[in-house]
Amino acid sequence: MKKTLFVVFMLMALILTACGAPAPAEEAPAAEAPAAEEAPVAAEEEAPVAEAVKLTLGSWRVDDVDAWEAILAAFNAENPNITVNFDPTNPPDYNATLRTQLETGTAPDLYFVRSFATGLELFESGYVASLADIPGLAENVPAGAIAPWATAEGEAFAVPIAAVSHGVYYNQDLFEANGIEIPQTWEALLAAAQTLQDAGVTPFANGTKDAWDINEVVMMTILPNNVGGLDGRMAYLNGERCFNDADVVAAYTQIQDLAPFLPDSYTATDYYTSQQLFVQGQAAMMFDGSWSISAFEKDAPEFNWSVFAAPAAEGQDQYISFHMDAAIGMNPATENAEAAMTFLEWLEGESFGEAFGNGVPGFFPVSNNVPTLTNPVANAFLAFNGNAAGTDIRFVWEKLLASPEGVVGTYGAMNDGVIAVLAGDQTPQEAADSLQEAIAAWYEPAQSCK
Amino acid sequence: MSRTQKLFTYSALSIWAFVAIFPIWTLIVNSFKPQKEIFSNPFGLPQNFTLEGYKAVWLKGNFGTYFLNTIYVTVISLALIIFFGSLAAYALAKWNSKSSTALYVFFIAGLMIPIRLGTIDLVRLMQFLNLQDTIWSLIPVYVAMGMPISIFILTAFVKNLPREMFDAAKVDGASEWRIYLQIVVPLLRPAIATVAIFNMMKIWNDFWFPLVFIRAEESRTVALGVSLLFGQYRTDWTRALSTLSLAAIPILILYILLSREFIKGLTAGAVKG
Amino acid sequence: MIENFKKRFQKDGIWVLFLLPALLIYLVFMAAPLLDSMRLSLYTGKGYTPTEFVGLQNYIDLFTNPVWRERFLGALKNTVIFFAIHMIVQNSLGLFFANLLSQDFKGRNFFRTIIFAPATLSVLVTGFLWTLILNPHWGAINQTLKAIGLDSWAKPWLGDENLALVTISLASVWQWVGMPTVLFLAGLLGISDEILEAARVDGASSWHIFWKIKFPLLKPVVGVVAILTFVDNFNAFDVIYAMAGAKGEPGYSTDLLATFFYRTGIAGEHPIGIPNMGMGAAIATITFVILMTGVLIWLYSSRKNEDLV
Repeated sequence: MKKTLFVVFMLMALILTACGAPAPAEEAPAAEAPAAEEAPVAAEEEAPVAEAVKLTLGSWRVDDVDAWEAILAAFNAENPNITVNFDPTNPPDYNATLRTQLETGTAPDLYFVRSFATGLELFESGYVASLADIPGLAENVPAGAIAPWATAEGEAFAVPIAAVSHGVYYNQDLFEANGIEIPQTWEALLAAAQTLQDAGVTPFANGTKDAWDINEVVMMTILPNNVGGLDGRMAYLNGERCFNDADVVAAYTQIQDLAPFLPDSYTATDYYTSQQLFVQGQAAMMFDGSWSISAFEKDAPEFNWSVFAAPAAEGQDQYISFHMDAAIGMNPATENAEAAMTFLEWLEGESFGEAFGNGVPGFFPVSNNVPTLTNPVANAFLAFNGNAAGTDIRFVWEKLLASPEGVVGTYGAMNDGVIAVLAGDQTPQEAADSLQEAIAAWYEPAQSCK
Repeated sequence: MSRTQKLFTYSALSIWAFVAIFPIWTLIVNSFKPQKEIFSNPFGLPQNFTLEGYKAVWLKGNFGTYFLNTIYVTVISLALIIFFGSLAAYALAKWNSKSSTALYVFFIAGLMIPIRLGTIDLVRLMQFLNLQDTIWSLIPVYVAMGMPISIFILTAFVKNLPREMFDAAKVDGASEWRIYLQIVVPLLRPAIATVAIFNMMKIWNDFWFPLVFIRAEESRTVALGVSLLFGQYRTDWTRALSTLSLAAIPILILYILLSREFIKGLTAGAVKG
Repeated sequence: MIENFKKRFQKDGIWVLFLLPALLIYLVFMAAPLLDSMRLSLYTGKGYTPTEFVGLQNYIDLFTNPVWRERFLGALKNTVIFFAIHMIVQNSLGLFFANLLSQDFKGRNFFRTIIFAPATLSVLVTGFLWTLILNPHWGAINQTLKAIGLDSWAKPWLGDENLALVTISLASVWQWVGMPTVLFLAGLLGISDEILEAARVDGASSWHIFWKIKFPLLKPVVGVVAILTFVDNFNAFDVIYAMAGAKGEPGYSTDLLATFFYRTGIAGEHPIGIPNMGMGAAIATITFVILMTGVLIWLYSSRKNEDLV
């Protein structure tokens, strides 16, 4: 008893001395948060270029820390005065943490900006700097890649760095063992799946526990084939077509086609489990994004694997999902705007394209200075993108994400429909009808669609 | 105890002990296996023993620093919570007035709102106090967070102490401060143990406030370091499990070392009803 | 008047001094930020500092807009279920174990230690562990069920809308059952041996001793355990976030008030991620009102019983 008391009071004494000490004592060197001041970043006295500058780059890419550190080292080699520190946050926490930092003035100098509605809202709130005056952007980056990070008037606020594509990863050994060729049509894909299933192999690794993956890497991979790529999607956005027309129903029907070929208990199969089912050879195919190349490589599957395009139905043109994924913007409150601009400009050039395109396989540089990629699977993606009738971004990203509060979000409506169709709770027609209903609740062109 | 009673007691407790330990066992043994073996042999002892996961995690994060930071934060916060909380609880229990009831309810109300709601104001406050990015930003928040539960438990406890004890001391002319130190604190020991354990786990494992208050490497806590590395290693199971084990093992050892004291403290001082 | 004040201070001043440190730190670092944030429930706008004053509109929307109402009532219902499972399963188990552990037998310290061990772990750890164990493909539970021939029992535990909430609640019970156990144990060991001995001499069965003698004496502890369970589980967030994500998958079937708050006010819906703190604050405020009502009822009734407070 006495002893415990003694310990308690020793602790208290310790604290009292600690509190009495003038400031955040030695244990925690009070590293000044970079860019803590609220001072608006007018062009006022930037640090002289000769002085060493440290920048922080916020990101949601926790998977690629090593690759990014190498990329930033390459930048530092060319710009010895500027060190950029990669500081990623887990994707589920990224938006919230960044938001907190931005609203309290503690955000990194540079950070990854999400495309369309999310990025635009940050720009409109004044949390990401305008890049209207950045040299070389228009020359080095195609307009189509800039648009997801620009206002309707074309004012850019982030330098696009990466696009991602979607496809069907497949186990070449299992295909060979079962005498299957790469399917060129949807019907052939289903036939292949049937052959595999008859041979006791799970055809597809995908599941629905995490919900987002079935929507983004399955539904939005097959939608371009069904609706006719970019032009087809524009027709929906302009109100020339309804979101429950035959083509959207056809896409939901293809989802229904997949249902028997998903793993047992696919409802409890999360994204990482799906990937494991594939790399362990338990499932022969997986719809997934190009960003997973390095994850698969790290697991070193004991079989040959590659990727093919999600095929269009017999007689239809092939379209590929090629989505603008990431751009980097500048915090308007940074104290080192000049150095940050130097970094952003560097992103447009060849050295970045080289370091990034081959450093993080599966993220495709979008500037005109694209290097020759060395990764075979990344090249397989590029090959079917090149051979397709066209490519397009994910179906709901442009315009449809910007729904007001208090309505069913379009992304969620589509996601719910996909899961309900797989479970047999809704027919493809019903799912398409509820999608149309959700969109028409707020999106005017959909209210008067034909 | 009769034989059947004994048999029943042992079998019921053994079953639960298995249920309680099994997941922790899975975590720890699998962190020593290469990824492929985790799937082929998920429950047995490792056949291809590896420390690769721990090595990678240890090299990647400054876990030595993280542990020191977490220990500082936890110990200092706990000491303050116990000191402030027991003082306040004694006052609330013995001070018969409308204001004390109101204050009591005011403190308890803090149990009921998710503290995340106040995050933005807290971040601004930390900036104002110039504590941003140091472990000192965490301590006042944890102490404040700990007040409601501590006051709730401790006040209930003081009220249950036999009145005669205080009255006798009062008659002897002891000041309230002396009564607090010499009578209340020793008697409160079991309740203090409960309060300490309650808060210790919350503070040790919290990663929300470190996540928003702290970016600097040298100020990170274990929970923050683990959550960042865990995201990074999500697909590399050996490393992911090693990361989680690094978070779990020290607190488990600490708990096992203290558990005798903890359980004794909880039970020995219990007031005889 | 000054005299009066002086007199009062001499009488009550010491209590004020005792309360001051706790009150100050609680006011500055908790109450003020929370109150200021609750004010935001009267505003609307994007981000964490909405500026457009809308009065009670957020509350009205929450109850009348079909989309908000469905989510809100769904989360409320799930929270009640989540709480009820803890109240019934966790606390009965806790009482049961405490009763066993209060006996005198070899190894009881070992069991006392083990039962509380999971509670020391971070939910990040336990959540991941349980998703691993419940994994339909290589998780221990389904593998065991299949190995003993109960294939049809091997369910997609976390993927089925009817099972997921119960499954996660039980995983949470697994982690926290040590809490009520320890609190009940302390209460049981506090019961004087003479009373129990007397009952035994009278030939009372242990069942009878438990319900007729021990349980009534435990009433104050039951009160504390109940109120802690209530408050903790109405604010539960981590375990759902770790095992079912911020949306409470599948299909919002595990969405609790706290995940609903987090998604609305802090993180924003995937994939847009633009938070609506005004509405988030409204959700938190309503949760607060529900909890406060519950606690005040409890305080009032326990004061009448003079058991505790």
